[in-house]
Amino acid sequence: MKINTRKVLSYAFTYVVWIIVTIVTILPVYWMFVISARSRVELFNAPNLIISSFYTQNYTNVIYDRTFQSYMMNSVIVSTGNAVLVTALALLATYALSRYDLVGKDNIFFTTLTQRMAPPAAFLLPLFLLYTQVFAFGEGRARWDLYDTQIGLILLYCVFNLPFAIWLLKGIIDGIPVELDEAAYVDGATTSMVIRRIILPLAAPGLAVTLILSWVFAWNEYLLAATLTNFNARTITTGLAEFVTVTGTNWGEMAAVAMLTLVPSLIVVAFAQRYLVAGLTFGAVKN
Amino acid sequence: MRRTRTGWLLLAPSMIILFVVGIVPFIYVLYVGFFDWNLFSASREMTFNGVNNYRQLVFDPLFLDAIWVTIRFTFFAVVSQLIIGFFLAQLLLRDFPGKSFFRTIHTVPLMIAPIAIGAIWRLLTIPGFGPIPYLLDRWFDFEFNIGNNATQAFLAIVIMDIWHWTPFVTLTMLAGLSALPAEPREAAQVDGANSWQIFRFITLPQMQPVVLTVLFIRIMDGLRTVDEINMLTNGGGPGTSTRTIGIHIFRVVFPQTDYGYGSAMSLLTLYLTIVACWFLFVSLTAVRKR
Amino acid sequence: MSDQDSIHHPVEHEVEDDRPHLLPIYTNMFDRVFISVVIMVAIHLFWLRFLEVYLSLYVATIISLVVGYIIIRRG
Repeated sequence: MKINTRKVLSYAFTYVVWIIVTIVTILPVYWMFVISARSRVELFNAPNLIISSFYTQNYTNVIYDRTFQSYMMNSVIVSTGNAVLVTALALLATYALSRYDLVGKDNIFFTTLTQRMAPPAAFLLPLFLLYTQVFAFGEGRARWDLYDTQIGLILLYCVFNLPFAIWLLKGIIDGIPVELDEAAYVDGATTSMVIRRIILPLAAPGLAVTLILSWVFAWNEYLLAATLTNFNARTITTGLAEFVTVTGTNWGEMAAVAMLTLVPSLIVVAFAQRYLVAGLTFGAVKN
Repeated sequence: MRRTRTGWLLLAPSMIILFVVGIVPFIYVLYVGFFDWNLFSASREMTFNGVNNYRQLVFDPLFLDAIWVTIRFTFFAVVSQLIIGFFLAQLLLRDFPGKSFFRTIHTVPLMIAPIAIGAIWRLLTIPGFGPIPYLLDRWFDFEFNIGNNATQAFLAIVIMDIWHWTPFVTLTMLAGLSALPAEPREAAQVDGANSWQIFRFITLPQMQPVVLTVLFIRIMDGLRTVDEINMLTNGGGPGTSTRTIGIHIFRVVFPQTDYGYGSAMSLLTLYLTIVACWFLFVSLTAVRKR
Repeated sequence: MSDQDSIHHPVEHEVEDDRPHLLPIYTNMFDRVFISVVIMVAIHLFWLRFLEVYLSLYVATIISLVVGYIIIRRG
């Protein structure tokens, strides 16, 4: 009987803690949703959590805004382009790092890890100088440089996404038995055939996770996009920050934009949740 | 092992991109860091000035203050996350109905854009209609204003980071804990060890690699945090109380177009993180003796 | 591949253990060059902040070159 009471108490404790944690996690996000559903006048009443009437104008104002549309398009193009590029290149690179005895392999891993974890702030000035001074051709109106282009951003995001993808895929490709490759080589297959016919199908789930997570990292990036674009290639995260700097912030519309930014992330949580831990620890911890 | 030339060929595209956008910029700023170069000064030319930029840097109170804020922020945030995360992971170790629901909800903050996290917490704490200052004032008669109180602003960014990253610690710890073998723990229980002894002498040593990995990843992340804090406190305010090194470069040094000085600072920031990254690398890799 | 159960190591760090070493860990050439560069920068920064009023910076350069040489050859 005594044991039973203890068990019930410990379950109750677990539930109480987790219900509190869940509320603490969800309430801030919900509060933002509430703000996005209110008109400017309603905001300054005493805070309450009930949405009495959904004020859609915050969303419609934003969605029909030309600038916002172009920001959104840029974000989609840059993240998708970057994720596809990164996954394809990382597959080749990781296959090489996994199957070939390359001299100085671990130095490559150290360098890439540093690039993944380096503060983006340290990259601001170097990349700004690189994009405006070094990779600039022509003068005057015919001048062309990587600053404020989508290609520039796609290349830029490789700095942190490519190392991430290489580290994550290393564990996955190591998990594919080498004997399969060897057998194919004995049968006269070329390297490209081995990668396409053996590695690609077997690593497909891992590649999908890499693609999705790289996409989210590129989508979420703010600092580099804010300094290395000016108008043409601005992304949605920089758009969100612009709401605050303008005098007299329209909190409702800002909340609406923020809600639109986090929708893709929530979809990812739903699909890739199981692989998130491996992804964020470079494949070191798996569940 | 197959012919290494093919291997290098497969590796080449990635290495070229990483070299061009990840290493060339730093070789360039290593060069620029030894020059006095300001586009808006009287002479727009680069003039060599040796280590003057670095000499100025180690005495720059703003820079040193920003580093100190970053270290304090990282310390408080990471320690709290490790403790809370470990505790929550222990509670998730056992099966109970609704476990996967709680876990899924817990994951949500991890994937939200940092800038949106900043927006969320700004809406919560903004004086006027944010619920946190309102409720604190109503219930405890306590004035909470991150716009003019430095301590409270610092507290706010630490709490925001805890909210953002504790799920990562929880999930990683949970994965590590569930992978642990049960035998040593059971043997200790038979020998009459209490739960604290089991935790201290069996679970903790077994978990050490995971804890170290999580710790170093979190430290590196903490050192590079910019977006959320920039959004929450509007660029490190009030004063410089929440201005981390990243925000300092982004909001103060970068707009000044003092390229030589900015280069030196970027390089020094990178230096500090590379040293930290070395520990992460060692904890992530297996040693193979030759 | 790894003797720890709670963690996977996707990457191996190849080191030389057949040599006497001063550093507390096994290292390879890249590690030793890396460590000596890190120490070199640290010595210079420390010197700039605290000691330059008494002694020229070139002293720091000489000291760090000596330290670097020792680490690379004996580390």
